[in-house]
Amino acid sequence: MITLSSYLAISFALFVCGIAVMIARKNIIAILLGIELILNSAALNFAAYTRFVNHNLDGHIMSLFIIVIAAAEAAVGLAIVIRFFQIRESIHIDDATQLLQ
Amino acid sequence: MALNYLASISRYVPELLSVVIMVGLIFIEACYDREEKKKPFFYLAAFFGLTFVFVNLAADLSKPATMIFTGSMTIDPFSTLSKMLMVLGTMGAIYLSKESKDIYDNLKSEFAIMAVGVMIGGMILASANNLLMVYIGIETLSILSYALASFKKNEERSSEAGLKYSLYGGISSGIMLFGMSHIFGVFGSIQFADIIAGLNGLSTAQLAVLLPSFIMFFAGIGYKIACVPFHMWAPDVYEGSPLPVTTFFSIVPKVAGLAILLRVTMTFFGQEGALQVTWVGALSVISALTMTVGNVSAIGQRSVKRMLAYSSISHAGMMMMGVVVINELGTRSILFYAITYLFMTLVAFYVTSFVADKYGNDHFERFSGLIKRYPLMAIMMTVVMFSLAGMPPLSGFVAKFNILGALLSEKHYMLALIAVLNSVVSLYYYMKIIRLMVLKDVESMEPIIGFGVMNQSIILVLTVPVLALGLFWSGIMRLTEGASIFLGP
Repeated sequence: MITLSSYLAISFALFVCGIAVMIARKNIIAILLGIELILNSAALNFAAYTRFVNHNLDGHIMSLFIIVIAAAEAAVGLAIVIRFFQIRESIHIDDATQLLQ
Repeated sequence: MALNYLASISRYVPELLSVVIMVGLIFIEACYDREEKKKPFFYLAAFFGLTFVFVNLAADLSKPATMIFTGSMTIDPFSTLSKMLMVLGTMGAIYLSKESKDIYDNLKSEFAIMAVGVMIGGMILASANNLLMVYIGIETLSILSYALASFKKNEERSSEAGLKYSLYGGISSGIMLFGMSHIFGVFGSIQFADIIAGLNGLSTAQLAVLLPSFIMFFAGIGYKIACVPFHMWAPDVYEGSPLPVTTFFSIVPKVAGLAILLRVTMTFFGQEGALQVTWVGALSVISALTMTVGNVSAIGQRSVKRMLAYSSISHAGMMMMGVVVINELGTRSILFYAITYLFMTLVAFYVTSFVADKYGNDHFERFSGLIKRYPLMAIMMTVVMFSLAGMPPLSGFVAKFNILGALLSEKHYMLALIAVLNSVVSLYYYMKIIRLMVLKDVESMEPIIGFGVMNQSIILVLTVPVLALGLFWSGIMRLTEGASIFLGP
């Protein structure tokens, strides 16, 4: 039996995974993947709440916008990562140390 | 229905005009030759267009507050006034980018285009009235800002700044969305109006879900204001970005973030109860920490740009104290603070930028003996520094005084005390630059190209409000009088 709480549990698990990835991984691409996990957990939440609790369109529209904007954000993020890679020849977050005091 | 949308659009002209300006600027830029350095029509169009938007907004001030597009946006005097501030800040940053050497010549027009885009995001955010508009506004603001931060694309520091900005930004907007999704789950609607209606009669279980969700929601807004737990990106990004971009970042996203923070606070936490107590408690701690961390970190800096970045964090903390008050007095004092802060920041960054262009860096020693070579500029910088520190009779003093008055009216004595102590601390690093300018000897007598007649007079014009608002502030206060948050008919 799939209920609201199973969806919420899955999305919470996704959220925790995303945070864990961002803390544990040192690869910038992996960190971007972690951000996507978090955004998708939120989108899943919106869809699940709409399906089980209130049957209006608000949540679906939110999920759609999250998908679209996440794509835009990933595009800009990847462009910056490519630029960083061309200059430093590394995508390791520990190499981004020029601005530390 | 169609008529309804037409009525909405008639109140939405400034934003639409800004979009037209952005598209128009892209076309004008495309018409110029690649090699052509000076693009007179481009800047003419940019300044003319933005002035037109400003005039349009000013005409909107006297109209009654209303909700447009089926309640998803609010047009009230408060949002209009903060939009006017953003337009002024954008114009200031675009002029600086035109003059500054910190931005590559072939990218100058792109800066203006993207700055207008960020401004549109800020305008959406300032009048957002549902969760979706908040998200769209923050992302429009952020995504273009990431590109702006990594504007010097061949320089390591700049692309690192962009990288850090986009990673932190992605994380905080993800956390904000997760919080939003649970707020939506509890209230069943993304409209602020429906959420206010649902605020009465919440069960304990619902409150237990809501409190952490609101804290998560705050992460996204707090990241834009750069308040304390989410401020780690700010000094790095401000230092790595080119100076005009730093100027822009310390004005437009901050004003937009404060506007939405104020709206969210007044909307959701206007009624007394457990929610309000928690929110006010959290905000008081955060604003006090933001001020203190900003000020204490600013003390040890060698670079003036980094010092100004930290000081802008502490000013954001000061403005957040006006949010804690949750009444109209607080709203008005924040608007006044933002007006004065805009002019002070612009002058400080203009002078720093022209000095830094000459020497290639912006260390404090570069200001040595400025008064002997450019007395007018040194005096302007001194006025602005005194005003930033909050010395009477300058406008910075009146702004701080208003915030303190609002705090005391709601009996937040501890916060007021912290604010006063912080002003004393900030005096130290602002005075450091004045001491160098006045007492030290000149390093070299070579002229600074940036200080031409035109630029000097613009700096002079921008300093006049800093002086004038300190003496004749009642006029501006009257302007902010009607600018309370519109919660619904």
